[in-house]
Amino acid sequence: MTADLLVADRLTRTFGDRVAVRDVSLSVAAGEIVALLGPNGAGKTTTMRMLAGLILPTAGRVAIDRVPITPETADQTRRFVGLLTEAPGLWERLSVRDNLLTYARLQGLTRPKDAVSQVLGHVDVADRADEPAGKLSKGLKQRVALARAIMHRPPIVLLDEPTSGLDPASARQVRDLIAGLKKEGRAVLVCTHNLAEAEELADRIAILNTQLLALDTAAALRNEGQDLHVKIEFEDGTSETRAVRSLADVPDLVRELVSAGKRIVRVVPNRRSLEEVYLSLVGAE
Amino acid sequence: MDSGRILALARKDAAELSRNPGAILPAVTMVAASLFPAFLVTVGAPTIAGRTLEESGEFVDEAARAMDLMPELAGLTGNALIQAFVFHQFALLLMLVPVVAATALATHAVVGEKQARALEPLLATPITTFELLAAKTLTPFVFALALTWIAGALYVGGILLVAEPGVWRTILSARTLIMFGLLAPLIELATLQVSVIVSSRAHDPRSAQQLSSLLILPITVVFIAQLMGSFVLTPAWLLIGCGVLAALNAVLMFAGVHVFQRETILTRWK
Repeated sequence: MTADLLVADRLTRTFGDRVAVRDVSLSVAAGEIVALLGPNGAGKTTTMRMLAGLILPTAGRVAIDRVPITPETADQTRRFVGLLTEAPGLWERLSVRDNLLTYARLQGLTRPKDAVSQVLGHVDVADRADEPAGKLSKGLKQRVALARAIMHRPPIVLLDEPTSGLDPASARQVRDLIAGLKKEGRAVLVCTHNLAEAEELADRIAILNTQLLALDTAAALRNEGQDLHVKIEFEDGTSETRAVRSLADVPDLVRELVSAGKRIVRVVPNRRSLEEVYLSLVGAE
Repeated sequence: MDSGRILALARKDAAELSRNPGAILPAVTMVAASLFPAFLVTVGAPTIAGRTLEESGEFVDEAARAMDLMPELAGLTGNALIQAFVFHQFALLLMLVPVVAATALATHAVVGEKQARALEPLLATPITTFELLAAKTLTPFVFALALTWIAGALYVGGILLVAEPGVWRTILSARTLIMFGLLAPLIELATLQVSVIVSSRAHDPRSAQQLSSLLILPITVVFIAQLMGSFVLTPAWLLIGCGVLAALNAVLMFAGVHVFQRETILTRWK
């Protein structure tokens, strides 16, 4: 069994009287991608910041590779986390290389220049390394920001809306890079509004609206709390939907309908989409 | 504390400043503005009027009264004495350079990061809040102090070139040494700390600069008072001023460290 590198245990965070996050528990294992979904103001960024050791929870705890984040350990545990913030936050007057070189030094890397060259190649921005960061397209800036987040080879990578505002081609490149992080065995938590992206990338999906509403695989979330429905299409062009406990019940259902004289053309499992699951959970339906 | 991290960030700030003339311009303009009046009064205006300060009777009584409190003026007479007196009094204007330079640079260093939304990724590194605060004040401190000293060198150089013989030597006194060696760094440090505190609430560098520039007021008041002859800024007074500034810096440091907390920056700095 793969060890959980990132564990959040009953995290609560308040700002004055406002509860931003309540009682959230989740974990991310090495080589796993977990997507964090939720409406605006659901507490995703606050959760990310607590997981990154940027702010401390009001209650509950975060552990990075079994080391709890406390005021005493926070500065050190941040070394094991790579955080991609919602905005790239690059220093636009400096070159891409100088941006990354500063971070390599801040991370205390022993050979900062080599680390920068390596990561620039990894995110495929080496040919733009000496240009001011401000001249890059949004997609390239995001790749540089991703390079900044992973340059120190952290075992845990937290990505806050990594493809937000990117064109489809740039978003695809960033998604490929994220998939690469999983192959490298890193624990990845992706915060996103893009349900298709979450479904494509993530092993498990967490749905948050101040508190954690669900955490499971996309398939399990679609089935959760509901009977499976199948749509049966007949030769005469009509169709009907029947509830079954599982797909194993379908042959009996078909036999029953055929015995009743129905001529079946097709039987299609009718699962809820992730969007339907999400909207039903966050109450926006 | 990791000096490597402080230097890495300070180096970055220096590189950004060197590519941002808009941030440096107010500081450089202040150097010119603080140098100009002394030379206008002592050399420019008398040349245009065709009469020396002594001949026109300007500052004659004030210079004579100041001799008891300013031993460095001993041995000078006539127009040279008056020029030396005026140059000494106007030297205080150069103390506006550290205020303006530190304000301009520090607000850019802090508000600039806010505007670029670069603070959060920065805070996600192992850098401690103290290291961050130190790095954010180091570059403006070094730059503003260098600029103040350059302004001082230009002042003495200018006096050497255009004033009566011997006047420039009087400027190289304990008074000037305290002013540039102690007072200027303390003024700068106070300005930097006020700038950091103000920057935490400001949305753009200009509004932060306007508030921080209030530090100009006390210097201007002292300058006017001594120019009117009602007050001579002796080394003793300067040392008292340094003591007050040191105490003020201690208070500001307490407030600055409170404002410059990770959580405060992330959750309250808008």
